[in-house]
Amino acid sequence: MDVNRRWLRPALPITIALALALAACGNGGGGAASGEGDGDGGEIFVSGSSTVEPITNRVAEVYAEDNPDFAYTVEGPGTGDGFALFCNGETDISDASRPISEEEVAACEASGVEHVELLVAYDGLSVITSAENSDIDCLSFLDLYALLGPESEGFDSWSDANELAAELESAYGTEYGESHAPYPDAPLSPTAPGEESGTFDSFVEIALTDIAEARGLEPTTRPDYTASANDNVIIEAVAGSPSSLGWVGLAFASEAEGIRSLEVDGGDGCVAPSDATVADESYPISRPLFIYPNLAAVEENPAVAAFVDFYVSADGLALAGEVGYVPLTEEQGQATRDAWEAR
Amino acid sequence: MAATPRGQAITAAEAVRRSLEGRERTDWRSPAFHGLLVLLLVLTLGVLAWLLTVVFLNGMPVLLERGPDFLTAPLASQPQRAGVGQAIQGSLMLMGFVVVLSFPLGIGAAVYLEEYASDTRFTRFVNTVVRNLAGVPSIVYGLLGLAVFVVALGDLVGPGPASGRSLIAGGLTMAILVLPIVIITSSEALRAVPASIREAAFGVGATRWEVVRSHVLPYAAPGIFTGTILSMARAFGETAPLILVGAVVGGFSVRYDNLLEQLQGRYTALPTTVYDWARKPATFEGNVYAAIVVLIVVLLVVNALAIYLRNRFERRW
Repeated sequence: MDVNRRWLRPALPITIALALALAACGNGGGGAASGEGDGDGGEIFVSGSSTVEPITNRVAEVYAEDNPDFAYTVEGPGTGDGFALFCNGETDISDASRPISEEEVAACEASGVEHVELLVAYDGLSVITSAENSDIDCLSFLDLYALLGPESEGFDSWSDANELAAELESAYGTEYGESHAPYPDAPLSPTAPGEESGTFDSFVEIALTDIAEARGLEPTTRPDYTASANDNVIIEAVAGSPSSLGWVGLAFASEAEGIRSLEVDGGDGCVAPSDATVADESYPISRPLFIYPNLAAVEENPAVAAFVDFYVSADGLALAGEVGYVPLTEEQGQATRDAWEAR
Repeated sequence: MAATPRGQAITAAEAVRRSLEGRERTDWRSPAFHGLLVLLLVLTLGVLAWLLTVVFLNGMPVLLERGPDFLTAPLASQPQRAGVGQAIQGSLMLMGFVVVLSFPLGIGAAVYLEEYASDTRFTRFVNTVVRNLAGVPSIVYGLLGLAVFVVALGDLVGPGPASGRSLIAGGLTMAILVLPIVIITSSEALRAVPASIREAAFGVGATRWEVVRSHVLPYAAPGIFTGTILSMARAFGETAPLILVGAVVGGFSVRYDNLLEQLQGRYTALPTTVYDWARKPATFEGNVYAAIVVLIVVLLVVNALAIYLRNRFERRW
């Protein structure tokens, strides 16, 4: 008898642990639970860009404070992944760090998902090097093309790009900014976001596309760089070697140690990245951030409409500043509200 | 009788003494090997100590400053507001699934394989398959969970806005993930029970059920419970499969009226939260370390519980 009971006894702590787990969950949910039981009514699902995710999350947090029945999920797998879900009708709103592409528009049309594009904030891209690198203070689009563009494949040293920079300078003068060649004779091993990233697309689009097209080449970067989807990994790698080069979102660069953001010349002189220069568009590598509400979801689910109403209000748009991005000006905000009203 | 080269006779006792004291020869390999082993131990522990020191030094400021708030606050976009409340809750519920599903299934399968099944080609095949399944990378179980629970059974496990990415889907995936480990550790524990105990019971006329229930299982219990609790710790630390089957990486709030609605809703877990925060700007760095500290502390508690149970129910024969 003694033996029989004893072997059952270990089951007790486990049962208690399980009961505690369930009880903890019950308590945790108690505050958020509502007795109305109106099904999906007050719940929204947002996915898309990992860059925009903190903004939408912040807006949802603030909105939820005043609307206790409001429930939300905001995720950030990436702009492309977000649109795949969105055009499949799975999400109510898609966050994007670039405008929707033609293929994605076609996919959405094919499944009958209608949407409206709303500009919600700006983000700058910082061109970064190690804090120890004092040889370079400013790079122009011409320099960036010479060092990172499709023709720079195999350049192991900054000085390898001298010839290409001279060629570009003689062809285009200062249209894409002044050449800062000759470059230092120091090892060059760039680390930057991978091709799946909106941050990659934006950089190519803004800094490299014009020169690449003028030279009759596919706009892209050199293939031989170290790619990472994690901005903090890029920052670590750039901080770790004294003559490194890369680019990340301004929100990441401004919080990081061991790296230095370079000034960038897009043809109108060298400008250092900051919230102010991104907002007044004097810093050349800045990109717009969007949300794309699904219009059918807006019709069916009052929570989506009410949430976007708050998002595009002056108070909602100002929240982008709290999470490290550059909020829209009053005029830009009004244009977004007009686009939302005209949906 | 041993003799020295000079022909002087010594006693056997003298020969043994000389041999023991190493007068005759010094074997340098023995202390060298000893030294190597100590060095390896120091290296291993050193890396671990370094890791823990870095994590605790960086995590404690946030934990001390935020206190209980960090343990209860939900995911949030700003580090000073973000906490691991939802993550701890989700992780505990996932462990609940493992306890409720994997333990009975796994221990039952082990008892069948060890005590009931005859040693046929089929049972040997099943044993091999189970062993192989235990070695399959966890991401593969994540893909399985995605295909079966999220996509195929999505309307059942997570209807509505969760579109299949529910706590049930995550829990079932975790339960399947640790099932082979539970079966193997339980089998080992059952196999360690001496055959004489079974034979004695059969000898006095016990049925197979009585033998298993009152003799084999009681003696195997400490081993079984050590194995199961360690597999629970494994489930607690898994990240990749949970991200595939839809643990929230970002932020969410929940609203539900009963347990079923909660189980059919979205969730997050501690390791996925660590992964999420590590991708965010450096302002989240302190939070990452603090979340790792919480993860380590919970794991240590689970492992301590395993050791306690094993010692508590250890028997000798």
